[in-house]
Amino acid sequence: MVKVYTIQSCPWCAKVKKYLKSKDVEFEELDIEKDAAAREACKKLTGMDYAVPVTTIDNENFVMDYDKEALDKLVCL
Amino acid sequence: MEKKAFHKDIVIIGAGMAGLTAALYAGRMNLSTLVLENGLVGGQIANAVSIENYPGFESISGGELIATLQSQAENFGAVIDEFDTIVKVTLNATPKIIETEEKIYTCDAVIIASGMNRRKLPLPEEKIFAGRGVHYCEMCDGHAYQDKIIAVMGGGNAAVDAANFLTKYAKKLYLIHRSELRADEVSQKRLRQNKKVEVLLQTEIKKLHGNGRLESIDIFDKISGEEKNIFVDGIFVNIGVTPNTQLFSDEINLNPNGRIIAGEDCRTNIAGVFAAGDVREKEIRQLTTAASDGTTAALLAEKFIRSLNR
Repeated sequence: MVKVYTIQSCPWCAKVKKYLKSKDVEFEELDIEKDAAAREACKKLTGMDYAVPVTTIDNENFVMDYDKEALDKLVCL
Repeated sequence: MEKKAFHKDIVIIGAGMAGLTAALYAGRMNLSTLVLENGLVGGQIANAVSIENYPGFESISGGELIATLQSQAENFGAVIDEFDTIVKVTLNATPKIIETEEKIYTCDAVIIASGMNRRKLPLPEEKIFAGRGVHYCEMCDGHAYQDKIIAVMGGGNAAVDAANFLTKYAKKLYLIHRSELRADEVSQKRLRQNKKVEVLLQTEIKKLHGNGRLESIDIFDKISGEEKNIFVDGIFVNIGVTPNTQLFSDEINLNPNGRIIAGEDCRTNIAGVFAAGDVREKEIRQLTTAASDGTTAALLAEKFIRSLNR
């Protein structure tokens, strides 16, 4: 399952979610402001605190920000 | 794979205030309308926390204002594609051709409303610390700085508004600018009244330091000649913008700053190609003037398209 770490007010997070939806990719959204465990997991994954949006499929490889090419590669579009 | 071709009456490049206003008007005139945007729908104001100078709203966030405008344009039939990217344009042709990564569009008229990009911090360390203490989106990254020391670089409305927004997180905030502030008096007053804020004018940032992420910066006071190091956890950079006109520079007349030369009628040097919003050379660049340009460009583009069909 694809996971997207976000915060509510971030416009690039919204863009990543819209892009995945436009490609019919199912994903779980994790708001790191509301979910402390998600914040820790995102920090562990990226080495950076509060950096969003972050998209991952295996909790190992991830894409930061909105990078269409990298997202396509990550979710194998 | 060969790209599929489509025809539109009008293609609008950019979905900021000017582009979306043009799309709303073009849609209402029953023109088949496509808007291409490869950044954020809303452009520069997508990140604006609070807009207090757009008529009809005492205060509205950029996100809310743009979502309403997008919905208005789409309700009148405009299509907004925010995921495809333009690779080439041929404007001096009939029909005009816009090639994207995925498709080829022909169209009768084009409105260039491609707006501006934020300038990057002009220091060699920027690349090292980008995303690790150097940021360009307050709303995306501000949360990371709860009870931290933040610097905002810049002196215009965007910088002062960003600083005002970030005071809710920062335990201390420096506003650093190389000359005097140009922001609205109201925003400046709000900032200066906040006890967490220290405004450093006539001051330049000379160097960034840190081990893996930003820890401190060297600043230079141009008046006293003093250079010192201050601890900061993050810098938010708001030092102006550059026009997105590289795609058009072979065909469209640009001024030395890269802005498109077009009068109040938004007409460029190519018939059927209009420039709207901040990308157009003009003295005043506000949300209201962007909306005005979008309106003018769409109405005159419709007139141009009608003249072709006579």
